[in-house]
Amino acid sequence: MYKKLKDITGTKEANVIQRASDNAFIPKDEDNTDYQEYLEWVAEGNAPEEAE
Amino acid sequence: MAAIKLKGDTSGEVTIQAPSVAGTNTLELQATSGTLATTAQASIGMKNRIINGNMAINQRGSGALENGFLVDRFSIGSSQASKGSATVQTADVPTKFTSALKYTSSTAYSVLATDYFFVTQKIEGNNIADLNWGTADAQTITLSFWVKSSLTGTFGGALRNSAFNYNYPYTYTISSADTWEKKSVTITGATSGTWLTTNGTGIDVWFSLGMGTTYSDTAGAWTTTAGLGSATGATSVVGTSGATWLVTGVQLEAGTTATPFENLQYGQQLALCQRYFEPLINDSLNYNGGQLVGSSFNTTRNFINISMKEIKRATPTIVGSGVGGNLFQNGSPKAVTALYVTYPNFYSVGLDLTASVTQGAAFHYDPSATTVITADAEL
Repeated sequence: MYKKLKDITGTKEANVIQRASDNAFIPKDEDNTDYQEYLEWVAEGNAPEEAE
Repeated sequence: MAAIKLKGDTSGEVTIQAPSVAGTNTLELQATSGTLATTAQASIGMKNRIINGNMAINQRGSGALENGFLVDRFSIGSSQASKGSATVQTADVPTKFTSALKYTSSTAYSVLATDYFFVTQKIEGNNIADLNWGTADAQTITLSFWVKSSLTGTFGGALRNSAFNYNYPYTYTISSADTWEKKSVTITGATSGTWLTTNGTGIDVWFSLGMGTTYSDTAGAWTTTAGLGSATGATSVVGTSGATWLVTGVQLEAGTTATPFENLQYGQQLALCQRYFEPLINDSLNYNGGQLVGSSFNTTRNFINISMKEIKRATPTIVGSGVGGNLFQNGSPKAVTALYVTYPNFYSVGLDLTASVTQGAAFHYDPSATTVITADAEL
């Protein structure tokens, strides 16, 4: 599971997502292997939790 | 000296070229026996494409692992839980080395067709670009390593591209149990397949500890069979309870000869590793303990920028554990209750710490003894 986050201003979406299993902050960089796994997870039909 | 012998193909010539100047020039060999080798593709600089092949850098300080990174740049993979684990150890190493990776099997497990147990290092594409793989000019490489096992027989592994669709299963033989042996495998360069020369995976080097038939194939040839990790019939370490397999001195170099392991200075090798992983805060190891300064964005969110020691391969994943401690404003501690990350890039990362503070004021952060925050850009 993953969760979207707001940036420090709280007004817009952050450029990282959070992985629930270890609370890791994953940048939206397609060269990052964790983000590649996230994109595969989304491609399988999953959706991240929205930012609070 | 008893004699000078010239051996080899009689159709060629051996030329010893002297400079066109007066004087005497002497080619002096060392008193010890050995082989002085050279190749047309002289290995000057970046001889070893493997990073941390001597297992000396261990920034994570990991304990026994079944999956994940142990020493820097080497990871362990297991398709089944509780069949064995890997550790880094210094007590049992070959001469001239100080660390080795050790895998110990915990059961006598018969691998299923789709099982895999392996040690791997993924070499970044930027570091293999000169090998010209995927073209007619592909260079031959030699993989060498020191290995020791409680088992004897034919062991296996594979070289793979990033898409796992162009692979070369290889074998090596361990002839004496519980004895360090140096092995080398020479592999003709891949003239086909897609081999990244970017910051993605160039060559994925696998050592098998047990591989199902789905991921095994005939050794000694390139194949497009997907996802191979070993050679058919190779010894399964996980197949014997208590079996051990140790490796160090891993080197992948251009050419047909396994030359001596390329020892780098510790700091050089650490820097190479930190392109892929580095600790940002680890109070117990005194990484940025109590020295970070920042300012409070509002009454709860507080911003610190950390410049990383090495530019990362990609924007790293930031992982925090045991995050706590205090922000100090005017000497007054404010308890840190949460961590967020903002604006990460190849060079630096912004930490967004939650604490009740005075907006706009500067602070310094004194993390708790258990606070560990890392940047991970591994392949």
